[in-house]
Amino acid sequence: MKCRLCGRAATADLCAYHQAAKERVETAYALWANAHGKIEWKDYLDNVKRNPQTGQWAKEIAELLGGN
Amino acid sequence: MSVRGGSSTQNGYTLVICEKPDAARRVSDALSGGNSRSETLEGTTVFRFNRRGEEFVVCSAQGHVYGVSDPFDERAVYPVFDVEWYSSDKVDEDNASAARRIAAVKKLAGGASKFVNACDFDVEGDTIGFNLLRYACGGKEGASLRAKFSTLTEGDLVAAFENLEPQAGHGLARAGRARHAIDFVWGVNLSRALSQSVLDSGHRYRTVSVGRVQGPTLGFLVEREKEIRAFVPTPYWKVSGVFERGGKRITASYSQERIERKALAERVREECLGKEAVVAAATKRSIQVGPPVPFNIGDLQKEAFRAFGFTPSRTLQIAERLYLGALISYPRTGSQRLPPSVNYRRILEGVGSISEYSAASAELRKDEPKPVQGAKDDPAHPAIHPTGEKPRRALERSEALLFDLVVRRFLAAFGPSARRELVDVSLSVAEHEFRLGGSRTVFPGWMKYYGRYAGYRDEELPQISEGDRLRVVDVVAEGKFEQRPPRYNQSSLLEKMEKEKIGTKATRADIIATLVGRGYVSGEAMEVTDLGLSVVEMLAKHAPSIISIELTRSIEEKLDGVETGGKGEAELLRGTVRSIAEQLVELNTNEEDVGREIDAAVVSTVARSYVLGRCPVCKTGQLRMIRSKASKKRFVGCSNYSAGCRASAPLPQKGTIKMTTKTCQHCSWPVVYVVRGRYPWRLCVNSECPGKKKQ
Repeated sequence: MKCRLCGRAATADLCAYHQAAKERVETAYALWANAHGKIEWKDYLDNVKRNPQTGQWAKEIAELLGGN
Repeated sequence: MSVRGGSSTQNGYTLVICEKPDAARRVSDALSGGNSRSETLEGTTVFRFNRRGEEFVVCSAQGHVYGVSDPFDERAVYPVFDVEWYSSDKVDEDNASAARRIAAVKKLAGGASKFVNACDFDVEGDTIGFNLLRYACGGKEGASLRAKFSTLTEGDLVAAFENLEPQAGHGLARAGRARHAIDFVWGVNLSRALSQSVLDSGHRYRTVSVGRVQGPTLGFLVEREKEIRAFVPTPYWKVSGVFERGGKRITASYSQERIERKALAERVREECLGKEAVVAAATKRSIQVGPPVPFNIGDLQKEAFRAFGFTPSRTLQIAERLYLGALISYPRTGSQRLPPSVNYRRILEGVGSISEYSAASAELRKDEPKPVQGAKDDPAHPAIHPTGEKPRRALERSEALLFDLVVRRFLAAFGPSARRELVDVSLSVAEHEFRLGGSRTVFPGWMKYYGRYAGYRDEELPQISEGDRLRVVDVVAEGKFEQRPPRYNQSSLLEKMEKEKIGTKATRADIIATLVGRGYVSGEAMEVTDLGLSVVEMLAKHAPSIISIELTRSIEEKLDGVETGGKGEAELLRGTVRSIAEQLVELNTNEEDVGREIDAAVVSTVARSYVLGRCPVCKTGQLRMIRSKASKKRFVGCSNYSAGCRASAPLPQKGTIKMTTKTCQHCSWPVVYVVRGRYPWRLCVNSECPGKKKQ
């Protein structure tokens, strides 16, 4: 099986790198929500995508989850 | 001449073997008082002279003239565990002069009655001399004498030849030869295994190399790269206040550096605005800052990177040139100590003859000069220091910069401690606390001598005392994001290698350069490519020892043991061969998997190397460097061409195009560097860029 984002070997639809990044993106949502009081999932993903500090794999995951 | 040990007869001359031609010239000039005759033998220059009735002939290698290889020299053949020393021209086509130099030494050896190894006194130098004495001079390594010196000044060279020593044990050379053999066996087998698996899988040949130190070093970079690529920044807020007293404004930071919730940050702001601040505490303290310790090679490389942006390998090359010009001492040293035998006063006097340093030199010579000493020592050479000689030629800019750094660091080591005053102020606003700090140098001490490299800045505060009241002008809650971990740069990677004790002071810079050359990392920021990631991923899965620090470090420690004890290299080589053989079996078993993954990464890395950045016209495609099939010329085009995007631009046809992550401030098109000649130039690839029209 290949990663749907990068084509690397994968056991599910994402490779180990993108799977780890997905977990990071999902975990960080709680921190963002706490920081802002409230933030919609979609707005959160948009912010993550646009942020220059976001890593490449995390950005690709945010794009995937955000339906871009 | 007094000689302890070694063979000497009345017939024949003393043959002196130096590491490099420049060193041979310096040795000849020093021993002959400038009266040597040069002649050409086998296309190389040798020097002849008489000294106190004894005839000398001085010849030189050009670095390593012998190298390790295997009898097969076929890239498909592995495993290879039988290795031999060959003339370097047979191992490396670019080293054509090796055969001529060996031929010259062979001819000269016939007429010699005494042999002196005068190569640099370290592992590599000893190995170079040892090999020439063994193979070109007919097994004279045991009967030869050693000249040990740390600078190529006349005084040091004459002293070295007045005190020639017999070669006992050959610990350095044995360790050097073992290191070369181990690194060859390691590199050739793994590189052939990986390259062959890529060839079998993707039907194309690509050299995929993994050296003994290169593997774990790439491992450090990959670990960091994984953190960076998966990084998700989290927000926080930083509150700061602007306060005014007597018409002067100061800015102070909120006592809690990071506020995790926006609402809390805004509450602080609201509660402070319109209030008055009271100075709750204002304390002054004085600290002493001791002078920096003398340079070893690692420290010099890090400081030159910080001060001038020189890569470690470049610094080493420049330092070698300064050493061969007798301006600085031997640079490949681990020592941070300057023993009195280097003669502090003589060097200070010599340095004082150069106008920039004359005042400092005079000041430091008023009392008995005594330098600060570092913790690290190297029995072979002292810390890097100027020799006290003036440059005999105009130095290139990079040489002048590094020379200035070495001289100033040497001067600073003799300076007294500096004294700095630190001020800490605490401001109370309602229930909240703000803090600010200031600092200034009250006595520069050594900083005066180290000049612009000292790196301390003064941040003075207006006079404030406890109980003073200040008006709150503004309070700002600024939204920020956690920064992702920084990538290693060449200097911090060198530091990491030192800390983990892998590689040697002489090889670390080259290993870093090889990682770049092999395409495992790109750019100044040392960004790991997909190829680098895949190589480490495959090795971690199928041959984890290859990238483990433990195995490499254990080999280094055993090589150190060979160096000091002069034995144990055969056992070490056997043990390494066993480890490599085990890993090769595992790699070979999974050859298909390994080859497929690395091949895919090669394709992706090559494809990425042509991507300049996002297309500013269609916003979704990527601008790429494309070569026209018809005209063979390169140009920029959008990956969405088939979808209708016609963004394109011509590119210079000569020179190398280096990608950047930067975009043009005028038009948002990608910016590249064009490398042609000595200095690269920056280019916005948009031929219609308004910035260009303005110019």
